[in-house]
Amino acid sequence: MATAEQVATARPPIAASKAAPLPGRPVYRRPWVLGIASVLALLAIWSAATGFGWIAPVFLPSPAAVVTEAWKLLMHGQLLTDILMSSKRVFLGFGLATLVAVPLGIVMAVWSPAKAILDPFVSLLRPLPSITWIPLSILWLGIGESQKIAIVFMGSWIYILLYTYESTKRVDPLLVRAARNLGAGDLAIMREVVLPGALPGILAGLKVTLAISWSCVLSAEMIAAQNGLGALIWQAKDWGNLALVLVGMICISLTVLVADYFANMLERFLLPWERNRRL
Amino acid sequence: MAGILAADQVTKVFSVAGAAAVMAVDRFSLDVEDGEFVCLLGASGCGKSTILNMFAGFVPPTSGEVRLRGVPIRAIEPRCGMVFQSYALFPWKTVRANVEFGLKMQGAPSHERRRIAQRFIEMVKLTGFEDHYPSELSGGMQQRVTFARLLAANPEVLLMDEPFAALDAMTRQVMQEELLRIHAENRKTTVFITHSIDEALILADRIVVMSARPGRVKAVLENTLPTPRRVTVQLSPEFAKLKADVWALVESEVRHHDETSSRAAAV
Repeated sequence: MATAEQVATARPPIAASKAAPLPGRPVYRRPWVLGIASVLALLAIWSAATGFGWIAPVFLPSPAAVVTEAWKLLMHGQLLTDILMSSKRVFLGFGLATLVAVPLGIVMAVWSPAKAILDPFVSLLRPLPSITWIPLSILWLGIGESQKIAIVFMGSWIYILLYTYESTKRVDPLLVRAARNLGAGDLAIMREVVLPGALPGILAGLKVTLAISWSCVLSAEMIAAQNGLGALIWQAKDWGNLALVLVGMICISLTVLVADYFANMLERFLLPWERNRRL
Repeated sequence: MAGILAADQVTKVFSVAGAAAVMAVDRFSLDVEDGEFVCLLGASGCGKSTILNMFAGFVPPTSGEVRLRGVPIRAIEPRCGMVFQSYALFPWKTVRANVEFGLKMQGAPSHERRRIAQRFIEMVKLTGFEDHYPSELSGGMQQRVTFARLLAANPEVLLMDEPFAALDAMTRQVMQEELLRIHAENRKTTVFITHSIDEALILADRIVVMSARPGRVKAVLENTLPTPRRVTVQLSPEFAKLKADVWALVESEVRHHDETSSRAAAV
């Protein structure tokens, strides 16, 4: 007796609409076509502006010069080293911040004394941009890897903590009540309800914070580093090589885009129940 | 037959800081027999949900006592299982994992959980949807999952807080019929809240008519409609007569409640 209802509502047709092209929308109006077209248009304007001499090369090098510079650096091997070094520092600093701040945030949300104890530090530390830690971190840690990682850590952990705290607080109390009614104890509530309930919010916060971590590592590298994308840009500036500065900037964007892509994949893997909601 | 669930002179007063205390339930007494299906019928705001929440142990009474098999309920009581109006399914669990939840909490081994869950999934006619997430199901199907989840946990008493209120009229009738069938099968003691006279007459063995706030027992009616019942019982002349009787009892309460709220609104 329930079959008609089931057939009518079993699967929202969202997945299907994504796979098949939308009927009635011409090829040139599809999002990816428009996206590529707008990038090509920008490149064309850039080429024209530099090629016809509307803008002097000292202010803006041509796209060709940027590509040449990127190719040289890539062949030399330095570009890959810089990307990997920056990525490694982000990975370690951000990973460490996650390991510390996610458990702390959850504890703060479920045990109010922990919140009372940590609140003053959070309030005092939150307004400080990570670059303000550079003098102290150099004094304490030197200019080696640990100092860069510390800067990333200091710039990330509070955001992760706050996102985790908020998402844990927002877990529907009705679900906790339902779980207790089905016989769950405190540990089971934590494992079966609070953690999975908070996970989507925590992951969203981690994605936002990952971008912040990248800006931290770049500022740390600009001030004191031998390699990394931040150092690349800063050294290129000192040499007056504007094309190289642009190469660095483009590499930063592309690297963060790739990192974001993997973060999204991880999110879809960890949150299977949200799949049909976020397409 | 001994009473399984009892409320004895239960009063509940809600006091919020900075506002006048509100008495939601006033000296409410009820004895529910083993295997009985009782409907609490009353207008919205008459404290029905509060009574159910006290039976489940979610909130303590201000005075008086609620008892399960003679023992006072003082904490959340998993032997009084609750079906929530808003389903309260775990969105991150599949239908199967939701239905298995209570058994998992009881420490049942996984193959046994699976076997029992499968039986109740079949019972609520959701075979084929075991691996779906709640967000992929319609409201009626989600409510069926909550029934299966509760029945699989096998509590002694089923508490239902207007479980069909959010469903469309046709799905509601289908669900009422399913509930009748399930109750005929397992004879679980059930306390069911509704503000629909039709629903109470279709489902209940006994109907407790509640007064408007504060909630008191206004009258207790034995439902004389023949069992086993189907939703088509609504078409019988006996049904119409009983409905008129119940309405006579309820009408003044609804009007009274409506007047007091409009007076409050005017002030």
